[in-house]
Order: sequence, then C-alpha cells, then structure tokens
Amino acid sequence: MYKPRDCELELQQIDKHLSQLEDSVRGKHVDPEKATKFVFRLYHRASITGSFAEFERAESVIDSLIATFGPKEDLCLLKANLDFKFHRVANAKRDLAMAPALPGRSEGKALLADILFQEGCYKEAAKAYEDLIAENRTWDNLARLAYFRSKMGDVPSAEQLYLEAEDELTAKEMRSYAWLQLQRGVLDLTHGRYEDAWAHYTRADQAYSGFWQVEEHMAELLAAQGEFDQAIAFYERVLARVPRPDFQQTLGELYAFMGEAAKAEPWFDKALQGYLESVNAGHVHYYHHLTDFYTDVRPDAAEAVKWASKDIELRNNFGTQSGLAFALYSAGDVSGAIHFIDQALSSGVQESGLFALAARIYRAAGRIPEGEKFLSKAAAINPHYENFHVHR
Amino acid sequence: MADHNDPNAVNSIFSDIDHSPADLYDIFGFPSDDSNAGEKVVIALTFASVPEAGVLDPDMLYRIRMAAHPRVAPPAKDDQNLETLLKYFDAVKEKYLGELKSSEIRVTIDAAQRATIKFFRFPGGNFSTTIDLNKVVNLKTPDGHSIQAFIGGRDDAFFNDLPGFFRSINYAPQFYHVPHTMTEARELPIPKTLLELDGNDLFNYDPKNPDLGITVKKDLPPGPWTWKGNKFKKDENGNYRFVYSGKDAQAGRNVNAIILEIPLAFITRSPEQNRVVNTWGESWVLKAAHKIESIPDHPLLLEHPWALLEAATEDEELKKYKLIDTDGQPFADAALSEREDSRQLGANNFWLGPHFIKRLAHLGWGFGPSISALGLKTSFNHDNSPVSVHKTYSLAVEAFPRVQKTLFQQLNMPDNSWNRKGLNIPLRRPFEIFIPNVCAIDMDTTGTWPYGRRLEDQVATRFLSMFLDMEAEFNGKKYHIELLNDQSLWDAAPIMPKTPPNPLKNDTEFLDHFPYLAEPWR
Repeated sequence: MYKPRDCELELQQIDKHLSQLEDSVRGKHVDPEKATKFVFRLYHRASITGSFAEFERAESVIDSLIATFGPKEDLCLLKANLDFKFHRVANAKRDLAMAPALPGRSEGKALLADILFQEGCYKEAAKAYEDLIAENRTWDNLARLAYFRSKMGDVPSAEQLYLEAEDELTAKEMRSYAWLQLQRGVLDLTHGRYEDAWAHYTRADQAYSGFWQVEEHMAELLAAQGEFDQAIAFYERVLARVPRPDFQQTLGELYAFMGEAAKAEPWFDKALQGYLESVNAGHVHYYHHLTDFYTDVRPDAAEAVKWASKDIELRNNFGTQSGLAFALYSAGDVSGAIHFIDQALSSGVQESGLFALAARIYRAAGRIPEGEKFLSKAAAINPHYENFHVHR
Repeated sequence: MADHNDPNAVNSIFSDIDHSPADLYDIFGFPSDDSNAGEKVVIALTFASVPEAGVLDPDMLYRIRMAAHPRVAPPAKDDQNLETLLKYFDAVKEKYLGELKSSEIRVTIDAAQRATIKFFRFPGGNFSTTIDLNKVVNLKTPDGHSIQAFIGGRDDAFFNDLPGFFRSINYAPQFYHVPHTMTEARELPIPKTLLELDGNDLFNYDPKNPDLGITVKKDLPPGPWTWKGNKFKKDENGNYRFVYSGKDAQAGRNVNAIILEIPLAFITRSPEQNRVVNTWGESWVLKAAHKIESIPDHPLLLEHPWALLEAATEDEELKKYKLIDTDGQPFADAALSEREDSRQLGANNFWLGPHFIKRLAHLGWGFGPSISALGLKTSFNHDNSPVSVHKTYSLAVEAFPRVQKTLFQQLNMPDNSWNRKGLNIPLRRPFEIFIPNVCAIDMDTTGTWPYGRRLEDQVATRFLSMFLDMEAEFNGKKYHIELLNDQSLWDAAPIMPKTPPNPLKNDTEFLDHFPYLAEPWR
C-alpha cells in the first residue's frame, strides 16, 4: 500500500486549510484574520513546492489584502519575506517600513539583519544577529548566525549554533529540522567532508520525507562524488516536480562536466529560456544565474557583465561582487575584475569557490604568488573544490 | 533561486498558531470521597483535545509531579511584611531546588494509541505499564496498591465566562484582530475593571455587536489605546454595567485528560504526617532530533504488562523532550506570568515572587475600586479612588503597601464543610496559594479550592474574591470566597446584568464515580 510521504501529507493539510479559508477572501465581508491565515498558507505551500507561480499568487493576494485592510504588520512582514526571497531587497525594506512598528519587532529585526548581510554590511549584520539571539534565542535566529559564521570561516562556531538550533526544534517542526540538516550538510560538502554531508542529507530525508530540496542536495553531492548516473536520476526527479531554470542549468552542467555536451545543450536551452522569461516579466531573482550562465555555460562577456551589474545594484555583497569580477575577467577586464574580487575578499568570507576565482583572476593579472596563495587557501578549505558543485 | 540563507522560507512567522496538545488547561486535585481501601487522592490533568478528544498525540509527554508534605504552620500574624514574604519565597526556592525530589507520573502515547504510564520515585519504587486509551483501568502497583487510571477524551470540566475575564483586563486579541507580532497590543493600557468604564469604547458591551469578543472580532483601531474617562459607566437607572455575563464560554467543549485515583499510602510512606499532596502538570514535546530515531520499546516492557524501571531511564527519556507548558494553580498565568512562555516554570516559580506582588497591585488598582463602587469592602488599598486606575510598578517595595492585605489575608470559606474533620487547619492566604504554583491538596479537607481543586469549584470567581476584604461582613456574615457567587449580592447591587460573574456549575453533570469528568461531547 502506498504510504504518503511527509511532504505530501503537509501539502494535503495545507490544501485542507486553504479550502476551509478560501471563502474568507471572497465576498463583501472579508475576515482579516482568516484572510491573513489564508495568504500565509498560500506562501507556506509555495515554500514547499518551490513553485514560482504559487509565490506569485500569494503575492497578488497579499497586495490585495493590503489594499483592502491597509499595511497590517502580518501582511507587510509576509510581503517583505517574499520580496527578500526574490532578491528585491529595497522592496523588502520598504515593506517593513510600511508598518511603522514592524522593524522593531523580533521578526522584522531578523529580516533586517538578513538584509544587512545581503547589502554587504557584515559587521552590522553580525551584531544584529547576536542581538537577536540575546533577545530571542529561536532556532531560526541561531541558524542565521550559524550561516553567517560559516561564510566567515568560523566552522566550529557555525556547527555549534546549528546544533543549538536543532535542539530548539520539536517533532512538530520536522521540515525546519530537515532544512537545518541540509545547511549542515552543505557546510560539510563545502569543506570536502562528503560522508558527513551524506549523513545529514539522509537525516533530512528521514525527518521530512519526499522533500525535493533534499533530493536536490543529494544530487549535488552524488555528482561531486562522481556518482553521475545517480545524480542525474535525482536531478530528473527534482525537475519533474520543480522545473526551475537554475536546476535545468545544473543538470546541463553535470552533463557537460561528464563530457556529454549533446545532452547538456537542451537543458541549457531550457534554462536560458526560463531565465529570459523571468527577466522579461520584470523579475530580478535570476540575475545571478544569468551572470553565471554567461560566464560559465555559454560565455558571452557582455551579457555576463550586464546581468552582474544589474545584480550588484540590487545587492552589493561578496556574492554579487565576485559574480561581477568573474564577468569582467571573462570580458578581459582584469583590472576591473581585481577591483571587485578584492571587494569580495575584503568581506572576510572564507569560501573555496571565492578563493579559486581570486586565484584565477590574480594569475591572469600576472600576480602569480598571490594567485598561488589563494589557490592554497581554496584547497585548504575544500580539497575537492574542483569537483562538481552548485553555486548556492 | 534564493542564493542566501532563508530559514523563514520554512518557518511559520505570524498569526498562524493552532491549538496544540501541549496546551495544558487545568489540574484538578482532591481527596477521593471513596475511602474504602484507605485514603486516595484524585488528580486530573486536562489539555487541548488535539488531534481530537480521545485521540492523543504520540509526540507528547505529559508529567504529573507530586510531593507530599506535612501541613505548614503559618507565620505569626504580626509578621506580615515584605521581608517575611521574600524570605518565604526564598524558603520555597530552597525547597523546590534543593531537598525536594518529587514523585512523578509520566505518560506517553505510542503509534497504536496505547498509553505508557510510568511511575517514578514513589516509595514502592519505579514501574511502568501500558494501557488502552478511553478506558478506566485498574493498575496494581508492585507494592500491592491499586490505582485507577483513565487517559483519553472527556468533557471540559472548566466552566467560565472567559470573554468576561478578557473584557475585565482589556485583552485585545479576544476582541480585535491583533497580529502575533504586536505584543504591546495584548493587555491594553486601560484600567482593569469589573465594571465598565465610561467611554471605554474599545471594550464596553455594544448592543449593536453583542457577539464582539465571543464569536466576532473587529479591526483594532489605531492607538493610543488608552482611556481618558474618570468614572464608571452607568445606565439611565443608575446601574453599573458588569463586564461579566455569567455565561459559560466553555460549554460543549472537550478536552483530553489524564485522570488518576491514587492511594495516599502509595504517594508517601507517612500518610499520617504528610497530609498535603502538592501536584502540578507539565507538557513536553519530543525534540525533532529524536523523532527520527527508531526507539524500540524497552524489551522488558514487551515481556511484562508492567515493569520495574531503572532510575536513569527517566532522565534519558526526558532529554529527548522539550518543556512547553506547566499547570498548577488556576489563574496563575493571569495573576503571575501574563501568559509569557518564558515564565512557564511550574512549581519552580519562586523567582516570580516579586513580580507577583507587582502584578497583584496592578490588578488591584483595577478590581479594588470596582468592588468599592458596588458598596463592598476591598482588601486592596486604592486610597478611595472613585474609579479603576491603570498603574504598573517597577519595584515590589512600592507595590507592597497597596497589596499587603490582599496577600496576607486569610481567605474565609463560606462554611466549615471544607474542613471535614474539624481540624485546626489554617485558612489559606494568596501568597502561599500561588507560590509555588502547585495544586496543594489537603487530605483532611474536601479538597475544594484553595485546599486543592474540585471539579465543581468556580475558581475564576474565587480568584476575584482575593480582592474582597475578608474582615468585612455581608448580611451579618464575614466575606468569603463564595460571596461573589451569591445571587442575592447581585440582586441588591446597582449593576446589570444581575448575575455572578461566572456560571455556577458545569454544562453537564460530573460523574459521582471515577473518572468523575463527564463523557466527551460527540
């Protein structure tokens, strides 16, 4: 007998709530509390399915509720989270400001701390995370600081914080627990500890079965380990459920990594089509992927610089700086690349990918000893940094 | 698509809080009327019927903790000062953090909806057994005692005008759509009161919207949420308007419950000396990390219907769970902790002592003038204020003079029936009722509140009686904890509606035999 998986069961439960609440957003007398629950459920569902169309529906209902009821804190917070998720950082700040007390709430402060990090205000972000934890030691605040510390190379502290975050979660929050396991797995993967990463991913799957995010992480790890056939099977399963262009690009890159260019190209075509449809519709969350696509996949320096420049306008941080550095390097503008990679390095972020890129740019600039130093740093963090990997 | 950390993508962030099986409602405790096989104590812990009445959540662990002690002699009457009170709180702290090793009954549910019930640190040793839900079961203990147990769905034994209480404390989320984030918009800064305040448009009864706060909520208007008036509201006949309706807001509701009838001789080796059984309940939820572990039943448990447990078992098991809620005294949340999660401390609430003094003074400035306006005497010193006042304190030493009598006065009982043996049992006083936050069952009494808590006790109204001056008289009789349940008082008072604040009895009859709580509503 078929046993529904945890993810399916949660979706069924959400759908039940949605059908119970649907009437609350229809008709003349909309109940604001029920309508807010309804739209939260829409957002909740979209977060699980990863469907952009569902996020768009949630956004549309949020906007209509704000138009009806004014800038209620819950709605503004939800809108800000949604904008932040899709890289609309300025909009997220504006959403929080719509409800004057919201930036002072714990939830508002957490999002503002994330925004500081995304805007490259690292010291301020670190302090904001630490203050948040002092005020409200919740699992998600602990995870925020853990992520920050992991990026800054303080792996023991990050692991300890993730452990503490785990300990805060109960059996009623298994999806959050699975998500934490994925973060811990990524931390291991990016330090070359494949077995440990696999153990976390397996645990995530046990905690919350049927979640595509788990399969997507497992696929990357399998590919990094050279288990290409399995990795492809995993990616295909993920794509069947979540046909996102970034995953299509990843599968194409895997084929390319395996030397199977003919199989890669159709996936690249699909990915590019998806990216362009998104940006043509006015969305900005694929700028980063377009930069990557035009530097790594189908090199087109002008396009790469264009999208990287747009991305850095939204969020000036080590990720967008290194993206622009790579694009400029591809365009032959090595001094420009040095300028931006130096900015990215000054963040204090300790990532093998960042150091490997810095090595490449510095060597191209003829600064061989510095290039070698960065290469050593990359290998020290992750001896397998040249294996297949995904840009998260 | 998010190339950044995003924990909130998978986190519920706002007004989306469902009922939880961890929500403890009440703990009842009283000496059993059936003393055929020796003295027995009845303890009932009730909690939210999630997933449904009669079906329990396998991720939960419930604890009923208990410790039997001799009855303590009260401090001398001339010793009623802040120093004595703080010393008392310290003594309680020593007791509960130091010498006390409470006995415990622990309940977990398996996937097949069978309950494992474990007994720890009782004089007869530790043991465990597994029972069916929704059935009365007779458990034989290793030392030969017989315990009655019922775990499952019942009628909610709490009968109360909860909307009236929320109106009295201007609790906005009962009447208005208040986002979860807006913690400052819970108890609004309007005087607490038993009588409606003239011009308190946010909370006064609205005949055009009679269900507001019951089944209807409105949008919370923009602040400031204060009150600018200076008198209680009166109608054209000169009557005040009561914030309470006397109606039972809990009618027709179910709970899940753990109900036990336990021989006193099983709880203590010295039942003759240890006449007070202190009990409190706790709810714990399995931690996520342990949910995915496959924990096989202990082999010993599989082989035997009951089994002796090693002492170490309890701590190892508990490490896998997280404490969520505690329950000892009714209205301890309102009196002490304002329902803050961080203050869920159960019996170990001694550190809230100074907060208790400040909170009681805050409530007193609301309820004291209301009582005076009705022509009754109050234990709270409000300097003859003609109307309720919103006042908060930052220092216990400032609040104490106002609330001294309320804290130290003995709460008179309506007659002597509670003291069924006619012993020299001191009347209880508020400070010792609420700290520690336990249900203290005096085995020489009927167990009616505050000597325990019987199912039929109207505890919400008795809680309000703390603010009555117990030295005053009504109709030639000293005030007592049932006075506000006396219809004749309300008939004579200038108030509408003429009703006791809360219903006088439950919506369905209690049983005269175990498990005492009525069948659940279907």
